[in-house]
This record gives sequence, C-alpha cells and structure tokens, in this order.
Amino acid sequence: MHIRLEQAGVAYGDGHAGLRALDLEIAAGEQVAIIGPSGAGKTTLLRILATALRPTTGAVFLAGEDPWTLSAKQRQRLRSKLGSIHQAPPLPPRQRVVTAVLAGRLGVWPMWKALASLAYPQDGDGARSALAHLDLTDKLYARCDQLSGGQLQRVGIARVLYQQAELMLADEPVSAMDPALADHTLAILAHDARQRGATLIASLHAVELALARFPRIVGIRDGSMLFDKPAGEVTQEDLTALYASERALPTSPAPAFAPAAPLHSF
Amino acid sequence: MQTVRRDPAATGRAIGALLALAALWPLGHFAGVDVSLLTAPGNLHVIGGFLSGFYPPAHDAFFAGLLLDALWQTIAIASIGMLMALLLAVPLAVVTTQALSISAIGPVNCDARSRLRSLVRPVGRGLTLFLRGIPEVVWALLFVRVFGLGPSAAVLALALTYGGMLAKVFGEILDSTDRRPAQAILAAGGGRLAALFYGLLPMAASELLSYSVYRWECALRAAVVMGLVGAGGLGQLMDQSMKAFNGSEIASILMAFLALVLLADGASNLLRRWMDDVPRKEPARFNVRAMSGWLSVLLFVALIVACWRTLGLDLGALFGQQAGADVARFVGEFFPPSIKPTLLAKIASGAIETFSLSLMGTLLAALLAVVLALPAAGRHGRMAKACVRFVLNLLRAVPELVWATITVLAVGLGPFAGTLALAFHTAGVLGRLYAEALENTPPAAEAALRESGAPRALAFLYGPLPQVAPQWLAYTLYRWEINIRMAAIMGFVGAGGLGQLLHVELSLFRLANACSAIIAMLVLALVVDQLSAWLRRRLG
Repeated sequence: MHIRLEQAGVAYGDGHAGLRALDLEIAAGEQVAIIGPSGAGKTTLLRILATALRPTTGAVFLAGEDPWTLSAKQRQRLRSKLGSIHQAPPLPPRQRVVTAVLAGRLGVWPMWKALASLAYPQDGDGARSALAHLDLTDKLYARCDQLSGGQLQRVGIARVLYQQAELMLADEPVSAMDPALADHTLAILAHDARQRGATLIASLHAVELALARFPRIVGIRDGSMLFDKPAGEVTQEDLTALYASERALPTSPAPAFAPAAPLHSF
Repeated sequence: MQTVRRDPAATGRAIGALLALAALWPLGHFAGVDVSLLTAPGNLHVIGGFLSGFYPPAHDAFFAGLLLDALWQTIAIASIGMLMALLLAVPLAVVTTQALSISAIGPVNCDARSRLRSLVRPVGRGLTLFLRGIPEVVWALLFVRVFGLGPSAAVLALALTYGGMLAKVFGEILDSTDRRPAQAILAAGGGRLAALFYGLLPMAASELLSYSVYRWECALRAAVVMGLVGAGGLGQLMDQSMKAFNGSEIASILMAFLALVLLADGASNLLRRWMDDVPRKEPARFNVRAMSGWLSVLLFVALIVACWRTLGLDLGALFGQQAGADVARFVGEFFPPSIKPTLLAKIASGAIETFSLSLMGTLLAALLAVVLALPAAGRHGRMAKACVRFVLNLLRAVPELVWATITVLAVGLGPFAGTLALAFHTAGVLGRLYAEALENTPPAAEAALRESGAPRALAFLYGPLPQVAPQWLAYTLYRWEINIRMAAIMGFVGAGGLGQLLHVELSLFRLANACSAIIAMLVLALVVDQLSAWLRRRLG
C-alpha cells in the first residue's frame, strides 16, 4: 500500500505536539524502520497511519485516499487492509489463541462466519499456519493468559499475518523477545511482507536490528524527522544526533529506553 | 509432537450446549414460561384496562390523605423496625465477633462454667443464621396471623430478619478491623465492653453507621413489600387498591413509592458520604461538622419519637405475658413438621417450580441486562445512556413482590408471573452492574479490532465480551442466590412456587404443614448456594 503524509501534525489537548508537520512518502511494498528516542513521536506516527488518530494539521493518504474524507463504511473497508502490531498486544486474557488470531479477519468475514467462529473456530487451519511461521502451533488452543510476553507478541504478529494486511504497522513488535528470537521474528515479518508485496513499517528501539533488517531508516526526534536514508547511509553522527540530548543532560533521569547499549556497537 | 486437528474444546462445548438446552426446556415448562400468555386477548384486556386506569392518577383529597398516612406509616415501620433490629443485632454481634474473644488470647482454664461459656459464640451464630435465613415477608405473614393486620407484624418481622442480617454484617465488620487495640485491652484485663468501646468502635464506627443507613433504605422497601401480606403501610394500601382493581389509585401509590425510594436512596447516599468524609481541621469555636453531627442526632431522636407515636405499638400486647403465651402456642403448633406423603409431594412440586422460577427469572434478567448494559455503559451516546440508566433505576426501585402484583395481572396467576417479576427487578440490578463492569474494561482490545476493520458488533464480541464475561457470570450467579429466596415467596401474591403453598397452609392455620414448607425453602436456598458456588468455581 502506498503511503503519503503531507505536513501531517498532531497536537494533543494540552498543547504538546506529538508530531510536527511531517512529510513522508513510502511506496507500496517498501520496508521502513522508524527509530528515535522515547517520546519522539514514533507511536503517534504509526497511529496516524493506522487511522487510529486523525492528524490535527496536514493530511494522510493511504493508497491515494484520505481516510478522513471517506464514509464510515469505506473507512472500515480500508482499515481491514491495515494490520497493527502492538508492543503489548491487547488480547483478552481469557480468549484462546486460535480466536485471537482469527479475529484478524473480522473486517472481511461475513457476519455469520464471525459469529459461528465464536462457537467453533471457522478456520483453524489458517490460524495454525499463521502460528506455524512463528513456531507457536502448540499454543493454538491455549488461552492468552497462559502465554509469556514474548509469546503474546508473536500471537499479535500471527494475527496480522493471518489478516494478510496490505500495510503492516508494527510498534516495538519484538521488545519482549531475546535478541536471537527478535531478529528471527523480524525476518519472518519482512519475508511475509515481501512475498505479498505488503508495506511494512516498524518502530524499533534496537538500532542495530533496524539497520540490519530494514533497507530504509527514518529517524524521528521531538516530533520532527531528523533523517530519512537507506540503511547503508546512516552514520554514527546521525545516531548521535538522534539520541544526543538524553546524554547531554546529566540532570534528566535515566532514559526509559534501551538504545544506550546498542549504541556502543557503532 | 502430536498436533490436534480438531478443536479440543468442541466436544465439551457441544455437550454443554446440549445439556443446557435439555435442562432449559423442562425448566421453562415448570416456570410456566409461555410467551403467548403475554398477548392472550383475555390477559391483554385485563392489563390494558388496568393500565388505562393509571391516567389520571387518583388525586382526590380523601385518597391523598390515605396515601400520606400510609407513606408515613411505612417510614415509621422501617425506622422502628430498624431500631429494634439494632437492639437485637448489637448484642449478637458483640457476642459472636472473634475480635472480642478472650480465649483467643491464650488458654483458659477448662472448668464446666467456661465450657458452657464457650458455647455462647456458636449458639449466637446459629441464631443469626436462623433469623436471616427466613425472609421478612414470611415472618410478617406469620405475625399477621398472631397479632392481626397492621404495622406491628411488619415491625417485628423487620426486627428479626434485619436483626440477623445486621448481626452478621456487624460481626464481619468488627472481625475485619484491626484487632490489636482490643486484644491489648483484653490482655490487660479490661472487660469486653471496654475493649469494644475503646479498641474496636473508634475504627469501625463509621462503617457500622454507614451500613445501618443503607439497611434502613432497604427496610423502607421491605416495609412496602410486607404491606402486601397485610402488615400495614403503603403495601397494604396497594394490596387493597389491587383487589379493588383501581388503576388510578395504583398509579398514585406507585409514584409515591418511587418518590420515597429515590428520596431514601438520595438521603442515604448523602448521609453516608457525609460520614465517610475526612473531617477538615476547623477552628474549635465553630465546628460545623460537630454541630451538624449533634443536629442529626437530635433529628434522629425526633424521627424515632414521631414514628413511635404514629405506630402506637402496644409493647405490653407485643411482649406481655398474654402475647408470650399466644406466640408460644402458635410456635408450638409448628412442631413437629408434617411429613404426610400428599403434602411432601406438593412441597416437592412447589420446590421444583420455585427452583425453575428462580433460574428462568435470573436467565431472562441476564438477557435483558446485557441488552440494556451496552447503552448504559455509554456505547451508544450520552442521550441513550441517560435514558437507559433511568429505566434501570426504575426496574430496580420496584421490589420483586410489587412487580409480581402487576405481572399477575398481565399473564394471570402462576409461576410465569413470578418469573417475569424476578426478571424485571433483577434486570435493573444486573444491568447496572454489567454496565459498570463494561465501563471498567480496558478499551484497547476493542480499539485494535476496530482499527483492523471489524464491525462494531463483532469488535464487541471478540474484544470486551471475553474480558467482562467472568465478572458478568459471577454477578449473575450471586443474584441467583438472592432470587431463589425471592422465588420462594412469590406465591404470596399468587405468582407460583412454594410461597403459594405456604400462604394457603398459613391461612388455614395448618401450621405443621407450613413448617415443612419453610424447611423446604431453607433447604432449597442452601442447595442453590452450593450449586452457584460450584458453578462459579467451575466457570470462573
């Protein structure tokens, strides 16, 4: 799905700017990582793209259409092509994994099928194969509250794989996994997106993971874009500038994000 | 690793669904559920004629005078009943609470006298259990037979049942406060009363008062309900108007009743908020809080005196030798309970009817509550929320037995009327609880589904519903435990179940038979308690 942001900005109710007049264009099938310090506006950007948040200034275009000028019906149809992966997947604790994964297609399933699926899973095989990509088939009939944080994140990813979204928006999708699993999971996500020609946009704290797995990197800081480059061209200076102030201000409390560690590898 | 191809839960779910269906049909049959009764021409004619009489409500001076008298009498019954209940409950609570146990401090010598004293606590508990195990309406029905029609029966009934309830809750409150100050006083050789006043009450007083005020509000509703069996007040007036089939009077009575309940609700909330308020530091010379405290004590005393004069209770007649002999003779006739096979068969069928009635009523209420809870939680706009909340308050404000007097007109005598009455009141209670649970559910799961294009209805079924379901279920089961007790007395107004049998037997003064029916009620309530607890463990 092709994406374009034109001077898109978000000002929250208290006057604090979540995002300032951002211009961004991403072609269909591209894979982009968004990096930046905590509170920089990465999540805000992803929420605008997911049509969960309406930009207060400027405009957003998904597949050439402004979702906020569409009718509610058309917007719902558009949303069924958008898949969001959350840092803490909002899955009901008592729901079974199979139901949680199948819920990815509620936007396209006919009503009767979605209702019947509550009594008996209508596409157990589909859910199974989505989970198989993430090595979670044995959890198909487990309850969500029986899974660890990393497993839950993978169920959230399986839901979007099953949804076959044309635009996958991942907000810290691997934060609860160990480095090897995180890398492996991102590879699966990227592979799936490439195969289906879907666009993949992920925000990541682990900078080296972003540089290794994504061809294009967008650096955001204080709601503005600092750089937008191919991964190979991102320099140590870029990264220092991106994360700098947190280190320059000794009085500020220890930053709640993790880039300090990955940074020494550069 | 062996992979499961089929949903492992499927068999269990299918069996569960089949069992539920298989159980529901006979239950529906015994509860007399027959929707066609609602639209039967005869019934429509009756309820239509009755409802059309509602307008204009009776407002002539004579009836208004009657209504005001009855209203005031109801308030008096509730207040004096509560006062007597307190007189009964406080000693019982002090006797039963663990917090004032001297033997809990250390070993005591085991002579015969102290062994006798160690029996006091279990006996107190048993008495409490017995008192609150029998609904106040049953007591009222009994006392009407002894003391005749009028408010004395209601006051005594309230005193007994509410005495039991208050004793239990007071005991629990005392048990749950910090016991160390009281134990320290006891260990230092202080008496139980000293330990109560200096060790427990300072911490527990506001909670005890707050609960008493809440119970007073409940007592008001109970006083109305007891009137339906002839124990004075608004309920008795309503019963008379019902029998005279006078819609316009009923309309006025219902409005007066609702006003009373809403006012009591407001007053009780206000009082409790005032008591829970943390006192602010104020200049000692003019302490508003202390002033208002003394003022409310004065008002309270004045209210009690006024109530007492209204009721004109003849204490001598109620507690004198003659009354004692009457009650003793009356109670004596209850024992031994009758075990005639014909009676037992009737009791068994009544018990099945009561059980079905309580279950179907609760299920219907749950269905209705789900439908009302969605708008009441503000999911369909502010306007709908306000309207539905009002409807829920209305459903809840009218007690089950009062609903039953109306539903009996709509669908005729029998268990279906009771089922509907239970369903209406319970839907009001559950709807509010469901809505609150829904409002407290984190919205993230539903938002995520909506953002991936799920329609509203499906997003609800896949998001919030599995999150609130356990809580909804727990509320429903708790309510069922209350409803089995209510279902047992529905028969007092002709709405089916064991109550009908009890009413008939008492009216004919076949007291041994009535005793068996009461025992059956108690057993049924215990069975449902166990069943509900088991289901909660199983499904929770």
